[in-house]
Amino acid sequence: MEYIIISTGFALMLLGLWGILSQKNLIKIILGFTIFNTGINIVMVSIGYVRGKAAPILDVIKPSEAASKIVDPIPQALVLTAIVIGLGVTALMLVYVLKLHREKNSLDINSFKDLKW
Amino acid sequence: MIKKILIIGVLAVVGLIFFDLFNAYQGNESLSKTANYYAENGASQVGAANLVTAIVVTYRGLDTLGEVTILFLTAAIISFILKFREEDFMPNRSVRVTSELLDSAAQVIVPVIFMVGVYIFMNGHLTPGGGFQGGAVIASGVLLMIMANPNFGVSHKVIAVVESISGIAFVLIGVLGIVLAGGFLDNTLLPLGKLGDLFSAGVIPVIYTFVGLKVGAELSNIIGTISHVQNEKN
Amino acid sequence: MVGPIYIIAVALGIAFFMGLFGKSLKNLSEWAMLAGLGFMTYVSGQWLLEFMSNNRAVETIFTAGFKPPYSINLQMGSIEAFFTFIINVVGFLGAMYLFKDLKKTGPNAMMVYLVFIMSLNVVVMTRDMFNLFVFLEVGSIATAGLILLTKSGEALQAGMKYLIATGIISGVLLIGIIFAYYFSGSLNIDDLLAANMGASKTTVIAVFLIYVSIILELKPFPANGWGIDVYTAANPGIGALVSAATASAGFYVLYKLLPLGGAEWLNYIAVIGGITFVGSNLMGTKQDRPNRLLGYSSIGQIGLLMMILGLSDILGEKMMIIAFGILISHYAAKAGLFWLSGLIQAKDIKGWAALRKSPFLLFLFGTFVFALIGFPPFPSFFGKWELITTLAANGQWAWMVTILAGSFIEGIYLFRWLGYAIKLDHEDLPDFKIEWNKIFPIWIMAIVLYAVGVYVTPMVEGGMFINYLPLMFVLFLFAIDFLPVYIKNTISIGGIIWYMFHIYPVLEGDLLRLIFAGIFLVGGVLTLMAGYSKKGTRKGFYPMAMMMFAGLIGIIEASTLIEFFFSWELMTAGSYFLIIRGKRSMPHGYSYMLFSIGGAYAILFGFALAFASNFDTSLAALGSINLLPTLAYTLLAVGFMTKTASLGLHIWLPGAHGEAESDVSPMVSAILLKAGVFGLMILFLYMDRTSVGATNLLYVLGWVGALTTLMGNMSAAFQEDAKRLLAYSSVAQLGYILFAISIMSQLGWLAGFTYTINHFMFKAILFLVVGGIVAKLGTHYMYEMGGMIKKMPFSFIAVLVSIIVIGGIPPLSGFAGKWLFYNAVIEKGWYFQGAIIFFAGIIAFLYLFKLIHSIFLGQLKDNHRNIKEISAWILVPSYILIIGIMIFSAFPQYILQPIGDMLAPYFSTETLVWEGTKATTSLGYWDGTTIMIVVATAFLLLLAWLLALSSKTKKIEQFNIVFAAERPFRPETTHVSYNIYAGYKKALGFLITPLVTAFWESMSNLVLEFANWLRRIYGGSMQNYAIHVVLFIVVFYLIALGGL
Repeated sequence: MEYIIISTGFALMLLGLWGILSQKNLIKIILGFTIFNTGINIVMVSIGYVRGKAAPILDVIKPSEAASKIVDPIPQALVLTAIVIGLGVTALMLVYVLKLHREKNSLDINSFKDLKW
Repeated sequence: MIKKILIIGVLAVVGLIFFDLFNAYQGNESLSKTANYYAENGASQVGAANLVTAIVVTYRGLDTLGEVTILFLTAAIISFILKFREEDFMPNRSVRVTSELLDSAAQVIVPVIFMVGVYIFMNGHLTPGGGFQGGAVIASGVLLMIMANPNFGVSHKVIAVVESISGIAFVLIGVLGIVLAGGFLDNTLLPLGKLGDLFSAGVIPVIYTFVGLKVGAELSNIIGTISHVQNEKN
Repeated sequence: MVGPIYIIAVALGIAFFMGLFGKSLKNLSEWAMLAGLGFMTYVSGQWLLEFMSNNRAVETIFTAGFKPPYSINLQMGSIEAFFTFIINVVGFLGAMYLFKDLKKTGPNAMMVYLVFIMSLNVVVMTRDMFNLFVFLEVGSIATAGLILLTKSGEALQAGMKYLIATGIISGVLLIGIIFAYYFSGSLNIDDLLAANMGASKTTVIAVFLIYVSIILELKPFPANGWGIDVYTAANPGIGALVSAATASAGFYVLYKLLPLGGAEWLNYIAVIGGITFVGSNLMGTKQDRPNRLLGYSSIGQIGLLMMILGLSDILGEKMMIIAFGILISHYAAKAGLFWLSGLIQAKDIKGWAALRKSPFLLFLFGTFVFALIGFPPFPSFFGKWELITTLAANGQWAWMVTILAGSFIEGIYLFRWLGYAIKLDHEDLPDFKIEWNKIFPIWIMAIVLYAVGVYVTPMVEGGMFINYLPLMFVLFLFAIDFLPVYIKNTISIGGIIWYMFHIYPVLEGDLLRLIFAGIFLVGGVLTLMAGYSKKGTRKGFYPMAMMMFAGLIGIIEASTLIEFFFSWELMTAGSYFLIIRGKRSMPHGYSYMLFSIGGAYAILFGFALAFASNFDTSLAALGSINLLPTLAYTLLAVGFMTKTASLGLHIWLPGAHGEAESDVSPMVSAILLKAGVFGLMILFLYMDRTSVGATNLLYVLGWVGALTTLMGNMSAAFQEDAKRLLAYSSVAQLGYILFAISIMSQLGWLAGFTYTINHFMFKAILFLVVGGIVAKLGTHYMYEMGGMIKKMPFSFIAVLVSIIVIGGIPPLSGFAGKWLFYNAVIEKGWYFQGAIIFFAGIIAFLYLFKLIHSIFLGQLKDNHRNIKEISAWILVPSYILIIGIMIFSAFPQYILQPIGDMLAPYFSTETLVWEGTKATTSLGYWDGTTIMIVVATAFLLLLAWLLALSSKTKKIEQFNIVFAAERPFRPETTHVSYNIYAGYKKALGFLITPLVTAFWESMSNLVLEFANWLRRIYGGSMQNYAIHVVLFIVVFYLIALGGL
């Protein structure tokens, strides 16, 4: 099971990367980034999976037996942080695109080549 | 064309890297040593039923402070980027009339959304959830309000005050940890209480409340700023 | 002590607090920001001081009340204290610099700024891998925001490129971190470092991902288009931060993670760094936007630092001082340069000529450029010295070449730029405002460079012997630069005379050094005397002249390799500024500098080999080179020959000497060239001349000397410009000297010394007098002169005496030189080369005749009727030198006999025997005193006879001739001396076709064209830059792990 999930994560990362590298529309490129980030998050969560164990919340599970009953909580904590960071970056990118669009009235990535060499 | 092939070639090798990673991944039969420590000691040291929360807010509290900072930064950057030159560019956008349905539904649902948000961050140490999730839910309520009424202005003053006060409170709690307890962001400022109670887990609920408010305010701020800019007319 | 955690708490607290400021308190926010930054600087500075003064243990800061690896911990050790301190200092100064921009944008921008600096602090201090990631992200988001302080489309595009690239990089880093956690079960950096993940085939992938993303953050060539665009488009104040602060933090992260993968990864880091260093600098050569150029240079410097990290295994404990020296120079110089760029706001580096409106700013600019290239006394000089010598000690030739090549390329554009600033016309350039809040930070950075340079000097092996006294004098002259010439001139002369008394007891008994010290110091006094004829303040002249003399005398005094090299570079810097003062000297100063840097690097390489042979820092190490001795000798000889302007390396000289100011020409020609001679003599005396390599080298140098003489004399004969004629004559004379000392016999060296002393005296006279005449008449061209004998009789006699010396005509000392010379040639048996020299000697008469004839004889030009004799301040030193020539001619034994005795131990056969005034060799004898008496008597008799006849002479007026022709189209062509040797030129001109010039020109074109071709990868498309980043990852992966 975890193999399928982690493969999905990698596949999403590749898909996102393909979007980033080949799409011409800036909004689509940002979508590529969100897909890429989602892939990373899935990979991270599956890293913390322990076969046959439950979520790391000690309501039914007693603290004394927690170590043998829960999945790894650390990647989940990290993913939370990663999601928030991803959100920040995406928001910033969107605002950039908003401004870029006003600058040239275009969303085509190739219309922004003023700086070179 | 050459570029397409290049991209495909590059991605193929990236796929190869992922394949390496996939091969290295064998799943887990048991917890890592750090996770094991948290599982064994989390309840007694931090007192939060939700171990993820214990990690996020206490063990890795500095990360969370960084996270909050990122949202704060993004909100600040967006508001200063969009503010300047707003006199130069004004999109000719007429505001769409909202449907009656959305308008009425929003009035009913938004308070509920806010309540759910508050519930999520208040119970962050007990249930799956926490400040970020709760804050995001609150912000979604704000988003709904804007959708329902495009001319709805988010009050920057209120948001700024909420944002600042909760941010300062977070930092202050951290500093109090150095003064009164074992270090920056030490959880044992307040009694740990009984595992599973609402008032337990030391300062986690307090911090998560501030985080929730802050995140909610920041996300609302971002949404508000963007919508505000789009509402401007010639 | 304030805990380091308060850096974070206070910065964030203030940033969050700013949101509470209403409209009424808005003005407080900038002060709150400055206070926050000041506090951060204070905290880190206090820790740095603590670590420097007490040997205390590293401070670990635990968070959340738990021990690592279960919670995040920070670390404050001496290195962290250093890095946080420099980051906070540039942060504080940068905020001051950007004060108005930040204020205009409002409190939001200030929050971002504050958080940005804070995040870099955490990046440095944190010992948790994921925490590192989080704060790297905070930093890059803040950067993306700060880029938009500049409200331009370019800035928007640059920011978007930055976001896209860092988005991919951070994703890769995240995957690396999570797998590192998966493999090791911990996120603590110390745990990860101990996990030895590089060793296993499955776990190494995490190491790769972490390394590749950290390296990519440092903008390696060529996957760095996004970074360069940020430097180009962002506000230079932000560029300064990215270059000085972000890069320092990123560098430290790489350092922190160095043990992660194990030794084999170091190679990759070194190679990537090397490629970045050379590639980025290469691309800079075609760049003329100041900010972009600074971007290339920044990235190049970081590449060098990366390379140093990669070589840390080889460099061992020296790595610290090397990295420190280079990092701090890059840090201060780049911040200063970006800030300067923000002041000037020029779109083209040519616009930097505007700096001349404020000489102090020009001084700062010069400081930064020299610090970047690694000139003394800046820390980078010591860093580079240690780097090269340590590499040599480990036999890393390829790395040495890479570093020196990259540095040289950096010199190409930095000195072109500096030359523009010093020389280009600045009248039409727009004014710029000088605000104290912008000037102050730049000053601080310059002071940092000087202070740290002096501070690190004793840390370098042998560095404690370096004498800073002459440099203090230079500094003093800078301070009094506003005073009029005659005061500064007197002080300078006084300084040199004082130093003569100071140095004489030190050198007593060492004749070789004493002679050169005499040439440098006496020459200095005499040429400076001519300066009294100048008016005004002559801004910048005296500090630079004294810097050159400080370097010259330092070479003499040097007892260690580093002292010698230090002084050599000092001399180069000083002379560069003297040479470039001339009106049309910009290209000549530039080529002088490039040849000098190239030569200096050759010397550095040779010295490094000498040092590495026996780990001996003293100059005597040259005597026992056993690592690649032939290469070392050759490199050293080539290095010294860039100063003696031997054939192939001479092309800078004619312009540099010809176009220099009238009293600078004698300084650089009569005096400075002798530094190269001194270097060669030291080398020849020390080196193992029995070895095959040395014998061959000497043979080749003999030929080079002979051909230099021929080429120099022929070119001199075809010159129309009087000063260029003299310049070529110098090339030729130095050829004689090179040839003579290459013979490596007592006679040859005696000839060499005689030529050295003679050339010093007559070339000083000639350049002084002819320079004075040129200045007086306002033309360089001899065909526009004539008939000056009556107007300037004293000048005429001075020139006449000098010409007699050059010509080698008895009774003057030139003859002594020739006599010794041909004795040596015949004794050695270098007949063919000797014949060339003999032939060249005849050609010398052609240009000597041309010189004296066309200036002093012939027809006086109409516009010169009211010309008077040149200034007495020029004639007095000339006549002192003439007295010197007379003494040397009449009593050569007083100088040549001791020299012969000094040389005796070095050369097996003592072939010259002195009996009183008579010198005898196997080929014959010569008696200077007798010849002098005979010739003087004959001369006096003839003079008396002529005077007796003079009553019968009839005076003819100059225009007592009738011309009967039309006025020609170009009147100068009718002048007798115009193109006087056209016939010879037709016959022999092919010998001096400027092959050498053409060679160097095509070399430089090749480099520039290559750079131009290479930089097409920076086509401007953000998507392509993203592809570059991924491509970099892919290629690195294939090479490192894919078995490619």
